[in-house]
Amino acid sequence: MASHGLDYDGCNFFRQRLVLSTLSGKRVKIKGIRWKEDDPGLRDFEASFIRLLDKVTNGSRIEINQTGTVLFYQPGLLYGGVVEHDCSPQRSIGYYLEALLMLAPFMKNSLKATLRGVTNDPLDPSVDMLKSTALPLMKKFGIEGEGFDLKVVKRGMAPGGGGEVVFTCPVRRTIRPMQFTDPGKIKRIRGMAYSVRVSPQMANRIVDSARSILNKFIPDIYIYTDHMKGASSGKSPGFGLTLVAETLNGSFLSAEMSSTPQGQGDIILPEDLGTNCAKLLLEEIYRGGCVDSSNQSLALLLMTLGQQDVSKVLLGPLSPYTIEFLKHIRDFFQIMFKIEVQKPLDDERKGGDKVLMTCVGVGYSNMNKTLK
Amino acid sequence: MSLNWFPNLRVTHVRRGDNRLTAATSSAVDRMDGKVKEQRKHQQKNSGPKAERKKLKKQGGSTEEDARKRNPKAFAVQSAVRMAKTFHRAQDIKGKKHHIPLVDRTPLEPPPIVIVVVGPPKVGKSTLIRCLIKNFTRQKLGDICGPVTIVSGKKRRLTFMECSNDINTMIDLAKVADLVLMLIDASFGFEMETFEFLNICQVHGFPRIMGVLTHLDSFKNNKALRKTKKNLKHRFWTEVYQGAKLFYLSGMVYGEYQTQEVKNLGRFIAVMKFRPLVWQQSHPYVLVDRMEDLTDPEKVRTDPKCDRTVSLYGYLRGTYLKNKGQVHVPGVGDFQVADVNFLPDPCPLPDAQKKRALNEKERLLYAPMAGVGGVVYDKDAVYIDLPASHVNQQQEEVRPTTELVQSLIDTHATLDAKMAASKVSLFSGSATLDPTDIEEQSGEKEGPTEKRVWDPNTQRERRAVVFSKEDHEKEEDEEVDDEEEDEEEEEEEEEEEDDDDVSGSSNDEDSDQEEEENEEEDNISTFLKEARAKSEGTETISRISPPLVKKQKLEEKVEGEKIAEVPVFADSDDDLEASEGESEEKVEAGRAGDSGHCSEEDEEASDDEDDESEEEEDGAAAEQMATESEGEEEQGDLRWKEGLQQKASEAFLRQQEAVPNLRKLVYGSVVNANDSDEDEEELGGLFRVSRPQQSKKVTANSMDCSRFIPDTSHNWDLEEMLNSIRDCFVTGKWEEGQDAATRLKEDEELYGDFEDLETGEVHKGPKEQQDQADKGEGEEEEDEAEESLVRVDDDELLKNKRLEKKRRLKERFNAEYDDEDATYFDDLKEELQKQAELNRAEFEDVDDDTRVQYEGFRPGMYVRLEISSLPCEFVNNFDPHYPIILGGLGSSEGNIGYLQLRLKKHRWYKRILKTRDPLILSLGWRRFQTIPLYHIEDHNGRNRLLKYTPEHMHCGASIWGPITPQGTGFLALQTVAGVKANFRIAATGVILDLDKSVTVVKKLKLIGYPYKIFKNTSFIKGMFNTLLEVAKFEGASVRTVSGVRGQIKKALSTPPGAYRATFEDRLLMSDIVFLRSWYPVTVPQLYNPVTSLLLPVGQKDGWAGMRTLGQIKYDMEIRNKPNADSLYKPVVRAQRHFNPLHIPRELQKALPFKSKLKYKIRKGTDTPRPEASQCDPRAPREEGGRPAPRSEHSSPLQDEEKPCGAARQTQGVPAAEGERRGSQAEETEGGS
Repeated sequence: MASHGLDYDGCNFFRQRLVLSTLSGKRVKIKGIRWKEDDPGLRDFEASFIRLLDKVTNGSRIEINQTGTVLFYQPGLLYGGVVEHDCSPQRSIGYYLEALLMLAPFMKNSLKATLRGVTNDPLDPSVDMLKSTALPLMKKFGIEGEGFDLKVVKRGMAPGGGGEVVFTCPVRRTIRPMQFTDPGKIKRIRGMAYSVRVSPQMANRIVDSARSILNKFIPDIYIYTDHMKGASSGKSPGFGLTLVAETLNGSFLSAEMSSTPQGQGDIILPEDLGTNCAKLLLEEIYRGGCVDSSNQSLALLLMTLGQQDVSKVLLGPLSPYTIEFLKHIRDFFQIMFKIEVQKPLDDERKGGDKVLMTCVGVGYSNMNKTLK
Repeated sequence: MSLNWFPNLRVTHVRRGDNRLTAATSSAVDRMDGKVKEQRKHQQKNSGPKAERKKLKKQGGSTEEDARKRNPKAFAVQSAVRMAKTFHRAQDIKGKKHHIPLVDRTPLEPPPIVIVVVGPPKVGKSTLIRCLIKNFTRQKLGDICGPVTIVSGKKRRLTFMECSNDINTMIDLAKVADLVLMLIDASFGFEMETFEFLNICQVHGFPRIMGVLTHLDSFKNNKALRKTKKNLKHRFWTEVYQGAKLFYLSGMVYGEYQTQEVKNLGRFIAVMKFRPLVWQQSHPYVLVDRMEDLTDPEKVRTDPKCDRTVSLYGYLRGTYLKNKGQVHVPGVGDFQVADVNFLPDPCPLPDAQKKRALNEKERLLYAPMAGVGGVVYDKDAVYIDLPASHVNQQQEEVRPTTELVQSLIDTHATLDAKMAASKVSLFSGSATLDPTDIEEQSGEKEGPTEKRVWDPNTQRERRAVVFSKEDHEKEEDEEVDDEEEDEEEEEEEEEEEDDDDVSGSSNDEDSDQEEEENEEEDNISTFLKEARAKSEGTETISRISPPLVKKQKLEEKVEGEKIAEVPVFADSDDDLEASEGESEEKVEAGRAGDSGHCSEEDEEASDDEDDESEEEEDGAAAEQMATESEGEEEQGDLRWKEGLQQKASEAFLRQQEAVPNLRKLVYGSVVNANDSDEDEEELGGLFRVSRPQQSKKVTANSMDCSRFIPDTSHNWDLEEMLNSIRDCFVTGKWEEGQDAATRLKEDEELYGDFEDLETGEVHKGPKEQQDQADKGEGEEEEDEAEESLVRVDDDELLKNKRLEKKRRLKERFNAEYDDEDATYFDDLKEELQKQAELNRAEFEDVDDDTRVQYEGFRPGMYVRLEISSLPCEFVNNFDPHYPIILGGLGSSEGNIGYLQLRLKKHRWYKRILKTRDPLILSLGWRRFQTIPLYHIEDHNGRNRLLKYTPEHMHCGASIWGPITPQGTGFLALQTVAGVKANFRIAATGVILDLDKSVTVVKKLKLIGYPYKIFKNTSFIKGMFNTLLEVAKFEGASVRTVSGVRGQIKKALSTPPGAYRATFEDRLLMSDIVFLRSWYPVTVPQLYNPVTSLLLPVGQKDGWAGMRTLGQIKYDMEIRNKPNADSLYKPVVRAQRHFNPLHIPRELQKALPFKSKLKYKIRKGTDTPRPEASQCDPRAPREEGGRPAPRSEHSSPLQDEEKPCGAARQTQGVPAAEGERRGSQAEETEGGS
């Protein structure tokens, strides 16, 4: 009776597989998780991710073998509600939040998740970045309304953590198709320079250096400084910068950088961080598209889960993560995207090649939401 | 005539409508005239107000044409409240007309409309279908088996399906029907089946329903006919909707309905419009019109009960179907589709041409199950269906071959073994042959071999044409041609005969089934075959070849198809390989314009590729022997190696196309990865070369991170780099016609003209000035006619610009204009309209092969679905009269979980439903048996279990069943077997919620008894068994039967389970304490699909699942022993005995005189008795408070008793849930 499951090898793209499995109801088996390594099996952060998934679902079955190299996951129904989760400090909250953003609109009850752990680290998209890019993107798909918010209560830098984030999201029965092919021109750049457990002056130094580069393009730049103290400052010192460029048509491109965690690697100067981050934003703008590179997969997923209508979105070059995500979408939903490359004209100075992604939605409807 | 009874009836009073009737009546009145008194004639008024008014009217000079103006008082506002009310009402009516706008997803070429013909037996269903088919296609069908598809018009095709009286069939067909022709025997009236079907339709989305009354010729009495028609019509309207079309088929002529009436009905069908149904629009489905068993015959021979591989054919309807999806076959079960592909339409619509009607050749008919459509193409075989007469001839001719085949089939050893061991003699009289001879023979065998397939639906053998080798194909074709010619000739003859037969009642219907277009198809088939023979080269198509070989060939074909599918990408294959393989070179070449599409993965992959390429070079020779598919891949690899030098020189050129074919990169590389995995070599068949983990594996276990590491080649310190994104900002250069200057100009043009009112100065927009300038220029232009040639281009440009500007202005105007009274509804509609247009346009110019990859198979396509593991009964017990439906399932609809439903017992069903009795549900595509629990929601949101469904109310139900979207309707039956006298639909409802757990609770009353009482504190025992149990319930509220409330305080050590509780009043030892609690119940996990299609032919309506408890008890003659206390026993009352009244002498003395006993006795015979002895045992308790009044008053007892008894009554314990304790409580209370 139950549909056939899917088999995968290796722990890479772990979240994609579990998220898509939960949404499609297909069970998944992941084998050979770090089986050749000295420390085989699932890591703490993955186990923590599974635990989070278990909290937001009802009736899922998770089986892990003794060495942790094989995982079997039979998804239940997404339940939602009030969830509290202590994320593993190995990865930042962004790692968990990315998956939660994909699942939250399709739950039975609206989600109110309190996640604790590392809010900013150099590896994953930080909470600030997701707040400023992913949320507006989801609003484009009709996921909006009261209580759609991401709040940073406490900031906790890697490796100690101690940050806290509250994510609330309403539920939707269907997602509307989207045509978003013209990003428009960038009208303003906003940013947030944060520092915890270091001198508040650090943030100002970052702002100055970042502005020095961006001012060449546009005057409308405002970079907030956010210095958290006391209980809301987490356990480790650090600083960083998140930059967001907003276009006329409401697309958000962002870049971010944060200081290297305490006791790991070279120390980076705030001035360098500022300039590098600004250059990253320029790189992101060069890539362009309507969705920034870290949210590509979210946009593609929401397109897939739309009504049976054509959705179109213009992206920058596909990231390897996105490419893999497309493959997984094909596995789980049998949806293929029409991929067209748009080359810039000779005299156009709008960055590199763009990719136009087109698909017909799968006609997904939220099966979990109760009918009153 | 019956009208004679109304002698005063005037002609004008006769209902207009039936001409005959009017005529009859008038004649009747004529006859009457003689007897009846002359009617007063109408006198025209020549004077008076009436006449004046008329005159005025005639002149047409009525001054006040508008009533509103003429009589303003009549239209004045009398009452604001009433006005508001009328306005609201008008708005309500208007609002009711709105439907939620849906995106129009109907395909350009929609699938045939499914017309289901329903009705009780012997009502004329088959006759009607036959007549309609004859009406549309001029052809006759014998037995109506399975769906019959016809082309009915330039834009419409119809599929007729007859619905038998089995409730399973009715349910299945109601789900796929677009139009239902509901036949009703007027001479009998409505039958239960009709109403059952209507109710089924209502639950599963309401298709269009048209009633057809038949057997109207059985009415001899015209009035009775009219009355019946009217009654039936109104009853029909209440079920469907007011004004639903009911069609009358008056009588039969030569066993057929009257041509004109059928034609009219056909017209109605041809122009009918349909509203999309939610379930059908959101699920793909196929009404199967052809079924072929593809199972390897060898497998069937060895194991007759093995699972079958079956291919099913039909038009795809509903929505897009994804390959490898999951389908449900109602009556069989859930299956994974092994493969889907689309075939050429067997019943295509005529090409778009400007003409009025279809010609004979375009009126196609396709009904393979009914044996129409002589030639059937499959993916790898062609079936030619011959009429019975041909079969006999053929059999005689080819008997030897058949014998050979038969002898081969009958063998039980493997073919090779037997061949080797024995000698086969082909002809009865001939010498035996060696295996080698046989080989030669098989090579030399002429013509197509045939394979006989017993087709159970047509009850005859079908001959599958099997091609042995390409050399012989031509000959085959010729032979086939010959046969076809024979056929044609014969058919023509027969047709001529038919033509001669004016009545058209020729018995030989087989000949009619053969159509002209089939012959055409035959001709085409020969063409195709030739073409295929040329193209395929050595490839052979064989149905009886060993399975392994065949499989390989299939794969080859698939490969071939794949390549053919994407011609655009196949070419660029090597490009991609090259770009991947030579990424280093590219870096050398300075990839300034590189977009970074292949930045990370490529770098990883490039190592990978390098490794692979080395490997390939090592074992190139070995790998060339590998399968063809891999070989092709290699060729691609090797090809780029050949031109290495050259390609390097063309680095720049490639960079233009270097954006590696992304589609290939995303979707195509999976295959490569798998190939490389399997490439592991073996040394000596024992050892495996241990290489360090390839990068592929490393990626599989690398860090899972969504961040896209930026391209390091970009140096953002360089000015040119900065310039490359300059235009991304609002400060950069804008596109033509979008920049601020043009926009300002436009605005000026729009709003430029204005007059300064203060000064009176008129400002002109720049446009007019320009116009003037243009004029001037124009004059000049005339002079410079020679130069105009040069300026043509400029003029063009100007013209275009002007047009563009006009368009933009118009758009802006439209937007502003529409905004005035645009409602939300209008906006929404417009938005959906735009979406629909986009949907249509997006993939319009893509060829079908590619298109199905993006959107899936779209509705309207004729598809072939292969399902690999159908139970053998499906094939063995196949009956074409029963519909086979493939219902596509959504992504998670294949799973099972708990469902919560809202359910209501059908008001026509005779009994109420019991919790935990199995029930058959029709939900989504499925029919299944399950065990529901009924419950009702209390005010606090608790779901309390019910023993039975309420009589006239909705209640909740929880079942274990397939996950189905909320809002889906369902219906419930208690049995689907046979025909029952009563209405069979037990309940209907809707899905509310899906969950993996249930929260239904059942009331549980725990009972205890006080064993020690101190004022308000009591010690209670008997409620729990252990200390732990009490601990769990500390603080819980308890109550006594008499309504004294209390709380559990603390457990006592002895006896176990006893506790201390306090109450609001002092308890009595006779009180019973109880604790109301709720116990969660579990829903039994029974999900049992109704597999009615697997039953033997003729018994398909006999599916019986799990029996209800009552049924089991009835069958096994078990009768429950009733509770002895519940039985009625004769009431035995002891004769009351009263002692004579004794008054002490002292007292007597003290009494007043008139009360003295002796006088009293003397006065009357009956003695008033003190009634203290009758008082109930509780009396002493009341005495504790105050002394009860005694015999002084006439009825002291009644006053005292009533409130007490009433209090007792109201405490009555709610219905116990069958708990031992509960029932005990009730008993004790009843006894008191």
